[in-house]
Amino acid sequence: MVGRQKRVLKGEIEEPPTRIDGQPEELVIRTLLDMFPSTLTDFKKVRDGLLRAKIERRDLFKACKSLRDNLGFEHLSMISAVEYDSRFEIVYHITSYEKRLLLELITTTPKDDPSVESISAIWGGANWQEREAFDLMGIKFNNHPNLQRILLPSDYLYHPLRKDFTGGG
Amino acid sequence: MAEMWINMGPQHPMTHGLWNLRIKVDGETIVDAEPEVGYLHRGIEKICENRTYTQIIPISDRLCYGSSMTWSHLYCLTVEDLMGIEVPERAEYIRVAVLEMQRIASHLMWLAAYAADLGAMIGFIYTMRDREIWIDLLQSLTGSRITYNFPRIGGVAHDLPANWDRDALRACDYMDKKLKEYEDIFDGSKVFMMRNEGVGILKKEDALNLGVTGPPLRASGVKYDLRKDQPYSVYPELEFQPCYHTDCDCYARFKVRMDEMAMSCHIIRQAINNMPKGKWRVVSPRNAPVGTGLGRVEDPRGEGMMYVVGDGTDRPYRLKIRSPIFVTVSAAPKMLIGYKVADVVAIMGGLDMCIGETDR
Amino acid sequence: MNLFQFCYGLIHWLVDLINNIWYWLGDHLPWAFGDFFTAVGDFARSHEHIAVMAIILEVLIIVIIALVNVLNFIWLDRKFMGRMFDFYGPYYVGYRIGGWLQNLADGIKLFVKEIITPAKADRIGFFLGPVIFVGSSFAALVTIPLGWDFYIGTNAGPTPPGTFPGVPASALIAFMFFAIAPFSILISGWSSNNKYTLIGGMRSAAQMMSYEIPMLLCVASVVLLAGSFSFHGVVAAQHDIWFAIPLFVGFIVFLVCLVAEVEIQPFDLPEAEAELVEGWTTEYCGMRFGLFMMTSYLRGYIGGALAVALFLGGWQGPGFIPDPIWFLLKAYIVFIIVEWMRWSVPRVRVDQMLNIGWKRLLPLAMLNLFIAAVLKVWGVF
Repeated sequence: MVGRQKRVLKGEIEEPPTRIDGQPEELVIRTLLDMFPSTLTDFKKVRDGLLRAKIERRDLFKACKSLRDNLGFEHLSMISAVEYDSRFEIVYHITSYEKRLLLELITTTPKDDPSVESISAIWGGANWQEREAFDLMGIKFNNHPNLQRILLPSDYLYHPLRKDFTGGG
Repeated sequence: MAEMWINMGPQHPMTHGLWNLRIKVDGETIVDAEPEVGYLHRGIEKICENRTYTQIIPISDRLCYGSSMTWSHLYCLTVEDLMGIEVPERAEYIRVAVLEMQRIASHLMWLAAYAADLGAMIGFIYTMRDREIWIDLLQSLTGSRITYNFPRIGGVAHDLPANWDRDALRACDYMDKKLKEYEDIFDGSKVFMMRNEGVGILKKEDALNLGVTGPPLRASGVKYDLRKDQPYSVYPELEFQPCYHTDCDCYARFKVRMDEMAMSCHIIRQAINNMPKGKWRVVSPRNAPVGTGLGRVEDPRGEGMMYVVGDGTDRPYRLKIRSPIFVTVSAAPKMLIGYKVADVVAIMGGLDMCIGETDR
Repeated sequence: MNLFQFCYGLIHWLVDLINNIWYWLGDHLPWAFGDFFTAVGDFARSHEHIAVMAIILEVLIIVIIALVNVLNFIWLDRKFMGRMFDFYGPYYVGYRIGGWLQNLADGIKLFVKEIITPAKADRIGFFLGPVIFVGSSFAALVTIPLGWDFYIGTNAGPTPPGTFPGVPASALIAFMFFAIAPFSILISGWSSNNKYTLIGGMRSAAQMMSYEIPMLLCVASVVLLAGSFSFHGVVAAQHDIWFAIPLFVGFIVFLVCLVAEVEIQPFDLPEAEAELVEGWTTEYCGMRFGLFMMTSYLRGYIGGALAVALFLGGWQGPGFIPDPIWFLLKAYIVFIIVEWMRWSVPRVRVDQMLNIGWKRLLPLAMLNLFIAAVLKVWGVF
C-alpha cells in the first residue's frame, strides 16, 4: 500500500517529561525582574507551570519581545480584556513549549484611554485576538496592521462586552 | 486572466458552518486569502455574565457542537480552579473516559466531512456509521447525542449506568478493527494521497508564531500535547503518547488525527479498567470567591482555554473563551497561498473548522 | 437469419395482412378512390417500402434494448451504491421487484417540471446542445452489433467472402460519433450565459479530449490485430483468445479512458466540483436535464459494449445462451467493475487528471500499440 507512516503508539514508550520543580519558573522570574525592575510587579508562581505577573503598559512590547526571543515563549495563547470599575485589564497568556510554562501577564489601562501597544508583530497569533478585543470591548491596539471589527458587523456602533451595554438579558 | 477576488461562502457546500473565505486568484492559483468569520456570533460571553455558574454548563456545550463534552468540561475545570474545589477521583476517571469518546466522535465527524468533500462518499458513510456507536454510548450515559450537559462543577452529573463499561470496551475493540479498514480505504488510495500530499504546507516556525495548536501544530513537527505536557485532570496517571508527524502537509494532519483516534481507544481502556469506586460529585458553593480561574484543555481541534473572573456573587463577572479554530483560521492564508483553487477544500477541511467555537 | 431478414419477414407478413383490407377497399370504392387505394397497396408491397420499414423496426428494437438496459444500469448503479454504503438502494417504488420502478418515477417527475430557458442565453445553442449530445450518442449506439446476426444492416442474403456483415468500418464510425460529445458540451456550457457553466464546460471538454487519444490508440491496437475496422471482424478475430489477454495493458487503459469519457467518479470533476454547482448542465431544467442524465448512462452502456466487443470477445460464449444475452452479460460485468471503483475512490483534481491522461495513459497506450504490432509481425494473429 502506498504512503503508510508508522504510528507513534504503544511499544515506543518514551520518558515522560521531567520537571525539576521550580527551576524553569525561577529562571523566568529572575530574568524578567532583572530587565524590568520597576514596572513588573506582583510576580508569583501560582502552581507548577503557571506564573502570574503585572506589568505597566509602556514596557509591554519590550517584555513580550524578550519573552519570545530570549526566554523561549513561542506561543501566545490568549488575550483577554476585562473591564473593572476604574480600569481595563488586558490579560496575556503566553506559553513556553520547551519549558512547559504558562505566564499570565496582566496590563492595566485607565478607563478613559483604553489603548495598548499591539504585539501582533511579535506573535502573529495575536492579530485576530486583538481585533476581537477591540470589537467587543473597545480596546485600541496601537500599530495593529488591520484593526477592524471581526465578529460584529463593521458598521456596528457599540462595544457589547462593556458593562454599560445592557442590550439584552 | 486578471486577478480577481472570489467569495467562497457564506453559503457553500464546502464550508462546514457559516463563514466566508475570500480568495484572490490568478487563473487557478491562489494569490491571497482572507477568511471572514462572525456570521454565527451569539454573544455567549455576554450571556454568561447574567447566568449562574450551573446555568452556564449547557451554554458551554453549545460553543462547539462537534465536541461539546470538551467545552463543558473545560468550563467546569475553570470554575473549579476559581472556587478551589477538589474533584473526586471517580469523577475524574469518568470525565476522562467520556472526553476521549468525544474526541473519537469528533474526529470521525471530521473525517466524514473531509472524505465527502474530496469525493469519497464511502468515507462519509462508513465513518458516520461508526460514529453512531460512540454517540449511542454517550446517549445511554447522558441522554442526548450531541450536547450532553454532563459535567458539573465538582464532578459529573450522575454515575455510570449498568454495563456501560463493558459496552465501552467492546466499542474500543470494534474501533481498532475499523481503523485498520480506514487505513485501507484512505491510505491505500492513490487518489487520496495525490489530493493530500504536499498540499497546504505550514512550516514549524509559522505554526508556532501564528498560534496554531492541536493536530495542525503536531503535524508540523512540534511534539506538544497538553494532555501530556501540561496535564490536567487524571491524565498524569494514564500512559499514552502524543501523536505527531513532521511532514507539515494535509496528509500529516490526517494521519495525526487517525493516530489520535487509536490513542484515545487506548486511553479509554485504561480509564475504564482503573476506575475507582467512590463519589462522583462534590457539592460546590453557590457563590464564587473574588479572584480568577484558568482552565486549559486539549480540545480535538487544539488548545482551548477559559478565563473566569469571580466577584463574590453566583454569576461570573467575566468569562473569556479561547477558541482554537479562531486562531488557526487566521493562519489559513499562510497555508493557502500558492496552491490551486481545488486544494482549498483539502486544506480548509484539514483544519477541522467548527464555527460555533470560532464565533461564540 | 440476421435481424434484417427477421424484420423484413415480419413487416412483409404485416403488410400482407393489411393489404387484404387495402385491396378490398380498392376494389369496392368508386373510380379515383379505388385507384388510390390500390396504388397505396402496391406501394406498400414494394421492396423499398418494406426494407425501410424493416430498418426502422431494427433501429427500434436495438434502441429499445439499449434504453431498457440503461434503465437497468441506473437501477444497478443506485442499488450497488446502496450496498457499498451499507444501506438499501431504491426500495419502495416497485417494492416487489427491488425498486426498479424508481427510474420511471424519476422520469415522470422530470417530465412534469417546467422548462425554463434563461433570458440571456443563446437560444439556438441552448437548444442544440442536448440535441447534438443525445443524437451523437444514439448514432454511436446503432453501429454496435449485439450478435453475429443481431445488428442494424441491410444484408438480405449471405455475405460475400472476405467481407463482414453490417456497417463497413463500424468500429471507426462508433468512435467517431462517440467523440462528438465534447463539442456539444462546449456549446451547452457557453450558451447558458453563466460563468460557472462555461468553466465547467471547458474543463469537461478538456477532460474528454485528453482521454480520447489513449482510447483511440488502444482501439488502433485492437484493429491492427484484428485486421478489420468492423466489429464483426474484430470479434471474429477473437475466436481463439480474447484480446484482453495479450493486450491487457490496453484493456486497463481503455477502461480508465472509458471512465473519464463518461464522467464517472473519480473523474467527475466537471459536474461535481466546478465551483460546486452542477457544472455545464446547471441551467437545464426538467426533461432536458433528464436527457443529459440518461445520455450519460447511455454512454456508459455504449462504452461497456465497446469494451466487450473490442477486448472481451464480444458475443462469443457457450452455445446454450443466445449471442446477444451473452454480450449484455459481459457488458454488465464490465459495468459492475466500473461501479465498484466509482464508489470507493475520491475525486481527482483537474490538473492531476490531465496529468494522468497525457503523461501516464498515453505512453501506456503507445506501449500497447507496440505490443500489438510485435504480435502481428510474429504472425500470432
